[in-house]
Amino acid sequence: MSWLALLVGCGLSGLGPADDPHTLPETSTTATAEPTPCQAPGAPRLLRRLTHEEYARTVADLLGVYVDPDSFASDPVVDGFRNDANALVVGDLLADQYRAEAEDIAAQADLPSLLACDVTQGDAACATAFVEDFGLRAFRRPLTQADVDRYMGLWLTIVPEDGFEEGIRWVLTAMLQSPSFLYRVEVGAGGRFSDAELASRMSYLLWAGPPDDALLLAAEAGQLQDPDERRAQAERMLADPRARRGLRAWLDDWLGLDTVPGLPKDPLLFPHWVEGAGESAREQTLRTFEWLVFDADGDIRDVTTTRTTALDRTLAALYGVPAPAADGFAMTELPPGPRIGLLGQASFLARQAHSVSTSVTRRGLFVHTALLCREIPPPPTNVDTSIPEPSEDAPTMRDRVAVHLQDPMCASCHAVTDPVGLAFEQFDGIGRYRTAENGVTIDPSGELDGEPFADAAALGRMLHDHPDFASCLAETALRYAQGHPLSLDEVALAEWHREGLAEAGYRWQAMLTDIVAADGFGAATGEGR
Amino acid sequence: MRARLSRRAVLRGAGGVALGLPLLEAMLEERAWAVGGGFPTRFGLFFWGNGTLPGDPDHPAENPDRWTPVGTGAGDAWALSEQLAPLAAHKERLAVVTGLSMKLPNPYPHGSGAAGILTGKQLGNEALESFQAATVDQVIAASIGQDSLYPSLQTAATDTLGLSFSGPNARHPCESDPFALYQRLFGDTFVEPGSGGVVSPTLGLRRSVLDAVMGDLGRLQGQVGAADKVRLDQHLTGVRELEARLARLEEDPPDLEACTRPDEPLSAYPDVGDSPQIDARNRAMAAMVAMALACDQTRVFAHFLTEPITEVRFDGTTGGYHSLTHDEPNPQSQVNSVVIACMGHYAAFLDALAAIPEGDATLLDHCAVLGTSETSYGRTHSKDELPIVIAGSASGKLVQDVHVRTNAENVSKVVLSLVRASGVVAGEWGVEEGHVTDGLSAVEA
Repeated sequence: MSWLALLVGCGLSGLGPADDPHTLPETSTTATAEPTPCQAPGAPRLLRRLTHEEYARTVADLLGVYVDPDSFASDPVVDGFRNDANALVVGDLLADQYRAEAEDIAAQADLPSLLACDVTQGDAACATAFVEDFGLRAFRRPLTQADVDRYMGLWLTIVPEDGFEEGIRWVLTAMLQSPSFLYRVEVGAGGRFSDAELASRMSYLLWAGPPDDALLLAAEAGQLQDPDERRAQAERMLADPRARRGLRAWLDDWLGLDTVPGLPKDPLLFPHWVEGAGESAREQTLRTFEWLVFDADGDIRDVTTTRTTALDRTLAALYGVPAPAADGFAMTELPPGPRIGLLGQASFLARQAHSVSTSVTRRGLFVHTALLCREIPPPPTNVDTSIPEPSEDAPTMRDRVAVHLQDPMCASCHAVTDPVGLAFEQFDGIGRYRTAENGVTIDPSGELDGEPFADAAALGRMLHDHPDFASCLAETALRYAQGHPLSLDEVALAEWHREGLAEAGYRWQAMLTDIVAADGFGAATGEGR
Repeated sequence: MRARLSRRAVLRGAGGVALGLPLLEAMLEERAWAVGGGFPTRFGLFFWGNGTLPGDPDHPAENPDRWTPVGTGAGDAWALSEQLAPLAAHKERLAVVTGLSMKLPNPYPHGSGAAGILTGKQLGNEALESFQAATVDQVIAASIGQDSLYPSLQTAATDTLGLSFSGPNARHPCESDPFALYQRLFGDTFVEPGSGGVVSPTLGLRRSVLDAVMGDLGRLQGQVGAADKVRLDQHLTGVRELEARLARLEEDPPDLEACTRPDEPLSAYPDVGDSPQIDARNRAMAAMVAMALACDQTRVFAHFLTEPITEVRFDGTTGGYHSLTHDEPNPQSQVNSVVIACMGHYAAFLDALAAIPEGDATLLDHCAVLGTSETSYGRTHSKDELPIVIAGSASGKLVQDVHVRTNAENVSKVVLSLVRASGVVAGEWGVEEGHVTDGLSAVEA
């Protein structure tokens, strides 16, 4: 990792012994209200439009009004992430959808709970108080006098003819279309994010939603520049149920779980892929992580080896294990066998497969790219990427993908992906366990980075301790936190967080707390990329 | 139904809040509902994913050509192929061009082809989002769409954002929900010709609100970096277009004979099993796009039956379509059935355009519709033998009822011909290997 070199430019003195770079820079664990001269790389100054999911959760938290995120033109996906700031743009279609949604929300909002006065007896003072109070929470910062004047100006044009309440509803409509609501404004000043900006950075990372009043109060009191205060807030926030939806939002992006419910599967070949199976598969993975991170507060790497998981009846039937006693999900222990961890779950096995078959290449590719953060180029074009049909000479998938290794051009990548993907051949195109294919016993052995393994369970144990897996966890978390592809500096920062993760026994809550408490989290460095 | 704000307010002018936009008023004065005399020329894109089955000349028995028409030339000299057969009712309005190649490198399967055809420029990276230049529909809209209520419309018959870009990170996403499109185009703000303009009291309030929003956007622009400024500009343009549209609704539209409010689509088209209702959604979108053109609400559309690499499962097939193109053994009878279905959907779209009379011709005659896909043979992501099916003559500027066979000509040429036929003065198209200065004269009338 080249991060050490990147830090050299600002001088290594005082940063710790050069042969122990994992202690660098130590500001995340040492309380320093004043930033030290040498910083871990910070975040670029950016406007970040709320994703539609974030918009819906923000409106729900602010007003208790439900918004269907699918009522907007869907957010683009960049590197699997829906929160890529550069791709989240507003054109005339989305502007019109924001307008319609804002009008709907304003019509449903419970005004008495937002007003300090009786709606039938409201006056300008009450309207001003509404603009300031609601504005603080909607814009996630105190309003300027110019803001107040603008919205009071709008209210004043409406109130003479339509009355106080109508004026308030249209002001609400306007605020919900304001860029101060629609974007997380993280532009900083003097190289630091403001307290209000930090509050949003924290809440959208940890909760995938807006700050609560306690966080806004801490921001107002100027406390969030202090890493210790941020750490304390992060610990409070992680104990809140909203942290679970924050975890889910990251997992949906990182593991592509939102695509699992729509996977097309051949109903004749896969009768166990019943209606709702994809949604159940997604939910299993989310609940497994939730249990590991919040209920067990354990080593997050255990997700590759655990037999503890959440199952409902659909998945129990698919996996051929005893079903929970009641409807819905229950935590359970899987029986001994090759099905362990995340890579024994249908959300991976069915997604990284074809409609009619498994896919050795896709499964291997997923392990390398999503779990180990490696780059593998797409296949060259004008090449027939299909493999031979099963035959007497080549009855199994292992026999059939051997063709990939005959052409050196194909082999350059397939020699990396396929020996990993072969581990999962004991699971069919939707993740059902099987021992034979076309009458021939399946050999699930393979190798990762030259190390042989016996089957999927052995591969899971190998991944658990693979250094690239821990690095990749840190990178994807930071990718999600920053909202753009990581720069080299940020990859270095991720590596530093990985060291913190290791020191904390790989407890994910500790990792998230470290991200928030790090100096780099408060540093606004240059323009967005 | 969506809840609405009450409408006790009376109609207000744009000056409700003193943040008026001189620019807006100027734009309004310049704009006209329709050109005087004659019917405007329109451009449309009809896109489907995953290509065709152009066959392998070296192995015709296992992999026959099911795409290329029989014979070349005009009229009786050519006949539709198996896969083009569903377009038979429109044969006299078609120009099928075969043998075209995308000349840019092809490093990103599906993506390079899509960007190469639609922009004449390579993708930025393997992500389909990374278009680096404006797509053909947006280039045309920038020229002939600016006087319309909607400079362009983007629609889809399956769930996709589509591939309509006016530049990097500037996507015009598709509306894929027919009911939402109906509400947008023909909902309570639709102005029946001759009705004297709409008098919805909320219009003025909406414009006052948008004024406040634009004030906020302008203020924020002073605080951000250059890249964010560009994005805020785009946002501001979107809001400004929205407000201009609201202002236009207070005008009286021209009395266009064929313009009426179309039938309301269903409120939802739920998937049947795990297949979307492509046919019903496509027909509903086609009817509304055709009427939006007839009412001169827009002159440019981009319709995506599917996106590239689509994994939609078509009726009667056993898997996601993209998977099938790679997994189904030759002769790929399921893939063949999907390509034929796609051409049936294209025919249904053209039906809607041809059903609207304009003078002694039809709306279709006043259109140039480019039907294409990101590749020819999906299995190998080939960029040769690309499918190009032009419908309509662009008011007489394009030849019809013809099969033009080229010898690996640059696909950019035919795109340039269509850009020019749509009324855009363009000297060139594309960059590097995608760059051309001449159109394909064989399709130009």
